[in-house]
Amino acid sequence: MYSAFRSRLVIVAALLVFMLPLPLAAGIPPAPVPARLVNDFAGVFSLSERQALETELVAFDDSTSNQIAVVTVASLDGMDAAQYATAIHREWGVGGAANNGIVILVKPKTANEGGDVFITTGYGLEGAIPDAYCKRIIENEMIPHFRENDYYGAVEAALVQLKALACGEISEPREEEDDFNFVAFILACIIFMAIVALLIFLVDKASGGNGGGISGGGGGRGGRIVIRPSRMPGGISAGSFGGGSFGGGSFGGFGGGLSGGGGAGGRW
Amino acid sequence: MFATVNFDDMKNSSKILLGILAVVALLAIWGFSVYNKLVAADEKVQSSWAQVENVYQRRADLIPNLVATVKGYAAHEQATLEGVVEARAAATAVTVDASNLSEAQIAAFQQSQGALSSALGRLMAIAENYPELKANENFRDLQAQLEGTENRIATERMAFNKEAQAYNTMVRRFPNNIIASICGFEKKGYFQAEEGAAKAPKVEF
Repeated sequence: MYSAFRSRLVIVAALLVFMLPLPLAAGIPPAPVPARLVNDFAGVFSLSERQALETELVAFDDSTSNQIAVVTVASLDGMDAAQYATAIHREWGVGGAANNGIVILVKPKTANEGGDVFITTGYGLEGAIPDAYCKRIIENEMIPHFRENDYYGAVEAALVQLKALACGEISEPREEEDDFNFVAFILACIIFMAIVALLIFLVDKASGGNGGGISGGGGGRGGRIVIRPSRMPGGISAGSFGGGSFGGGSFGGFGGGLSGGGGAGGRW
Repeated sequence: MFATVNFDDMKNSSKILLGILAVVALLAIWGFSVYNKLVAADEKVQSSWAQVENVYQRRADLIPNLVATVKGYAAHEQATLEGVVEARAAATAVTVDASNLSEAQIAAFQQSQGALSSALGRLMAIAENYPELKANENFRDLQAQLEGTENRIATERMAFNKEAQAYNTMVRRFPNNIIASICGFEKKGYFQAEEGAAKAPKVEF
């Protein structure tokens, strides 16, 4: 009896291990939890610089729905910058349904390795920001700053250009999601009540012998109505939890935007 | 008495008949759902193939401009320039039927495009010897676009392989493979990793 319980425990533990998020094939960092737009893994920004960037990018996301993620890493893990940045863009899902995301990847220069920078554009922004523009932004705006070890200045200078270009293509204020959630919640309640009413009706109609079978089916039906926690107001407050530490507005999370590998890179 | 026996027989045989019908109906429903899943996966593979063709076409579209620009500065690199033009013609001549993405078709496509990649690599390498060409704004833009296109090719190929793998797994898994073979769903080919042939022509400044 006891050993049976133990073996069951082992099975449960094994299942849990398998359910852990798999390490990404590419060796890129997993998407930040809670979601944020500035991910300074290499530690090149000061706290106030990071906050300023995050606030600026969250505001840009709120006002135009374009998501720009700034990622700095200490090492590219043997990949080239284009691969690495595209993998982050796709795995994290930077940008919304219009694929209007941008990733600025910076690998700082070290004593034995040159610096690498890459800007990826989502499918939806390829028209607004052609690769040649990315290249010019990198060479004319960023690399001069990088040469002076001014990482914040480089990113800021690039953002000025990228924001102006991205705005030209897609500029829609982000919708207030709370309203939508409320409507969905009410709808779910109504459907749930309708199904319960239907079941009661069916059980009433059926003879006592059949009642068990039918209510069994009802259990299954009831289970289908799942209101995802992330859609509930509670889920949203979890999202703003991380934003609190930045002082600025809260970032609602990445929207599953894809990149087809567009953009350009540079070295210094 | 005769009537009663007949009535019982009818009752029994109709029960059996109903049972058989129920099993057949369940099998049919299962078959339809598997078929629909296979169709959906097949569609996904085809649309990601369309993306692959798009980005290769994008590269092919860049080449005339690139060749013209390089010619203006390095006209006597005739052999290399012609090599690119010929490889482009050969690559665009290879077309793949999107509804039959067999291994052989994809291998042929990949080979012709790989030849174009190496020809382009040689062209970009000789460009290094012409400082005026390298400083030309138009050439730099083309170069950025070419690099971006090579990244797109790598990305879309990876996305295609992923969809093809999902489809192949579905087709070969039991019991789906029964429906797949009845309805003629065949295994799709993959892009193979290459030994430097299709690597983006890296140009250092």
